[in-house]
Amino acid sequence: MNPAVSLRRIGLPRLLVHLSVLLICLLWLVPTFGLLVTSFREPQQIASSGWWTALTGSSQTSAVRLADAATARQGGANFIISGSVFTEGQQGQVQSFGTRVAAPSEFPAGQTADLGEGESLTVNEDGSYTYIKNAPFGGDRGKRIYLTTATPPSFTTENYRTVLTSQGIGQSFINSLTVAIPSTIIPILISAFAAYALSWMEFPGRGLIIALIIGLMVVPLQMSLIPLLKMYNDVGAFFGLPSRSYVGVWLAHSAFGMPLAIYLLRNYIAGLPKEIIESARVDGASDFEIFLKIVLPLSFPALASFSIFQFLWTWNDLLVAMVFLGTGKDQLVLTGALNALLGSMGGKWEILSASAFVTIIVPIAVFFGLQRYLVRGLLAGSVKGG
Amino acid sequence: MKVSLWIGTAVAALIAASAGAQELKFPPGQDARFNWKSYEEFKAGHTDIKGESLTLFGPWRGEDEVLFNSVLAYFNAATGANGRYSSSENYEQQIVIDTQAGSPPNIAIIPQPGLLADLAAKGFLTPLGQETEDWVKKNYGAGESWAGYGVYKGKDGKDQFYGFPYKADLKSLVWYVPENFEEAGYEVPKTMEDLLKLSDQIVEDGGVPWCIGLGSGGATGWPATDWVEDMMLHTQPAETYDKWVKNEIKFDDPAVVGAIEEFGKFAKNDKYVSGGAAAVASTDFRDSPKGMFDIPPKCYLHHQASFISSFFPPDKKLGTDADFFYMPTYAAKPELGTPVLGAGTIIAITKDSPAAKAFIDFLKTPIAHEVWMAQAAFLTPYKGVNPEAYANEPLKKQGEILTSATTFRFDASDLMPGKIGAGAFWTGMIDYVGGKDAKTVATDIQKAWDGLK
Repeated sequence: MNPAVSLRRIGLPRLLVHLSVLLICLLWLVPTFGLLVTSFREPQQIASSGWWTALTGSSQTSAVRLADAATARQGGANFIISGSVFTEGQQGQVQSFGTRVAAPSEFPAGQTADLGEGESLTVNEDGSYTYIKNAPFGGDRGKRIYLTTATPPSFTTENYRTVLTSQGIGQSFINSLTVAIPSTIIPILISAFAAYALSWMEFPGRGLIIALIIGLMVVPLQMSLIPLLKMYNDVGAFFGLPSRSYVGVWLAHSAFGMPLAIYLLRNYIAGLPKEIIESARVDGASDFEIFLKIVLPLSFPALASFSIFQFLWTWNDLLVAMVFLGTGKDQLVLTGALNALLGSMGGKWEILSASAFVTIIVPIAVFFGLQRYLVRGLLAGSVKGG
Repeated sequence: MKVSLWIGTAVAALIAASAGAQELKFPPGQDARFNWKSYEEFKAGHTDIKGESLTLFGPWRGEDEVLFNSVLAYFNAATGANGRYSSSENYEQQIVIDTQAGSPPNIAIIPQPGLLADLAAKGFLTPLGQETEDWVKKNYGAGESWAGYGVYKGKDGKDQFYGFPYKADLKSLVWYVPENFEEAGYEVPKTMEDLLKLSDQIVEDGGVPWCIGLGSGGATGWPATDWVEDMMLHTQPAETYDKWVKNEIKFDDPAVVGAIEEFGKFAKNDKYVSGGAAAVASTDFRDSPKGMFDIPPKCYLHHQASFISSFFPPDKKLGTDADFFYMPTYAAKPELGTPVLGAGTIIAITKDSPAAKAFIDFLKTPIAHEVWMAQAAFLTPYKGVNPEAYANEPLKKQGEILTSATTFRFDASDLMPGKIGAGAFWTGMIDYVGGKDAKTVATDIQKAWDGLK
């Protein structure tokens, strides 16, 4: 089939749509890919060059210190220091070397450089060097020289090892699940009941309640942290329980997730065909039976899509967990534990990038598990009728 | 819901049980660098709080947290109390939430005296007493200044001593690479005039003298406040500095504008700064010093606090590959002496208990300082510690600068109200390096301050 025919078959507008979708996907993927590459690089590489340089070998200039004067041995009239510029396990090929920072690649590898004052230095391609002086060496630190070395692309899994084996990470993973799973289930259960009532049960003030719930969506979480914690403290003191517990986090997450959940589910449930529900009523089903046997199975896409939202939000949350669960080592959720790894001043890109991919595993699993409901559920709230 | 309550309590019980004893980093009595006598005395004097729990909350995370826990382990071992430290990225906000909601930790460790003053004014702090205040005055280098940063107005409006300073940072430092200096034939400058001359010399030789980076995420701009504060101390008497902090002289006073312009001499000169003045605001402060170690070097000098050495490339040894000198004073202003700008963490009691009081006593023992000193970047103005305990020579040198300081001044931006010191001052500095002139920027910051009153 020639290209012109296939283009006509697809149609130009559709081709454009496909191309722009592809472009947008690529644009989205580039930073993620960069982060992935970064997570496999050593801290020093991250600091000195961009991730896109990681895939090809490069020549880089670095400074190394030769062995100090104490290791010198005498050979005839000369004093000799020798060794390798590479530390054990390090690989590379020396291209050139120099002894002044102003001219770091003055001499090609293998050449003997005359440094004056009776000193000479040779650095070979394999990194071995001989440093000769016609008098004893002085100074308490080794001589600094500069090398241009060709280094093959190198990657490390060290960052992931640091993140995964850091103390308390397993505990925090369990903590995160303990927070996220009930915090997803509780609001869904409650809001499904509420959504049914608000869409199919007639009672005065129904519209007002819906408006109120939608209004609650604009209340910022941060504003209510102190009063909420204060209330928990009082309630906890009354029962003689610690104010910071999982129950507190579950309730907080549920409460903050509820307005959106009710709004989303109500719109979906209100859009269910009236005939089904009315005929069930005629057949003598109670509201509870209708809800359980008809509405709940039919609104599964909406429930699933909301549970994805809520799970992602509670999984990624740091603030609510820190405030309501506490900041102790054993109470930290995964986000908190990874955040603590960064240290007081932050800026550790290798940890940051590796931990990003560690945290993302669970949300990705949840997303792929439930994704076929997501699009259906998203449309659910917006399109009425059916 | 009842089931989940039970689960909640069960988990809480599990957590409490899992907090075991930590090992002591240096076995008591073995290393002669440490003052074990103070440890034994403290142990003997605090036998009554065995089993009590003590919660501490502070800014240290990651490696610092490990280090502080190693100090805390000595307190736990000596008293039998169960001290547990925790932290959070937004500890400044968290401590406000916790105290206001009524579930504070026993001890709060905060690097901003301004924030502690706020908490004290609302009645959330417990005074530490005259005796502790006198102890700090007597035993700390520049003790009057240090003690002053712990005195706040309480709810009753009376000045009392609330904050115990522990762990200091030295900010009047300029970092350099000794070998770069040697190769180029530069000398460590002794006066500010020499420093400017050296900068010109480096430019003449085709190099770039300074690396300045103000980037720090949401806190971008703060490194510039350190510069301005340091220049303020180098051009004005300490009394003027104190007035500036309290806004008794306006932010757009010629003295302050002058200090900002002193900073501008370095940061706004394209030839002086690596990447040009335009790069100053966008360069991350953690990446900025790395330019000194590039080959050829991107810059020769870097002005930053003592902590910055932990952001040097890991293979660089302090003292050999990198060193520092005291930000020199103007030879033309001998009357200012040798002022030192610094910062530190202040420890306060947010929920009183015998264990909390005992912890403050613990901080008065040399051992509480020496254990951290011997491991990593930790400075203390406490004169009673053994300087030999410092982990390395440069730290010891910094420690000496601190204990011998005649004038010590705390980081002004940490003392000012949060909206200025951690807000308008930062953004003002970004505007300044971005091209606005010093007078306009200072007037803007003063306007923001007026808005608070």
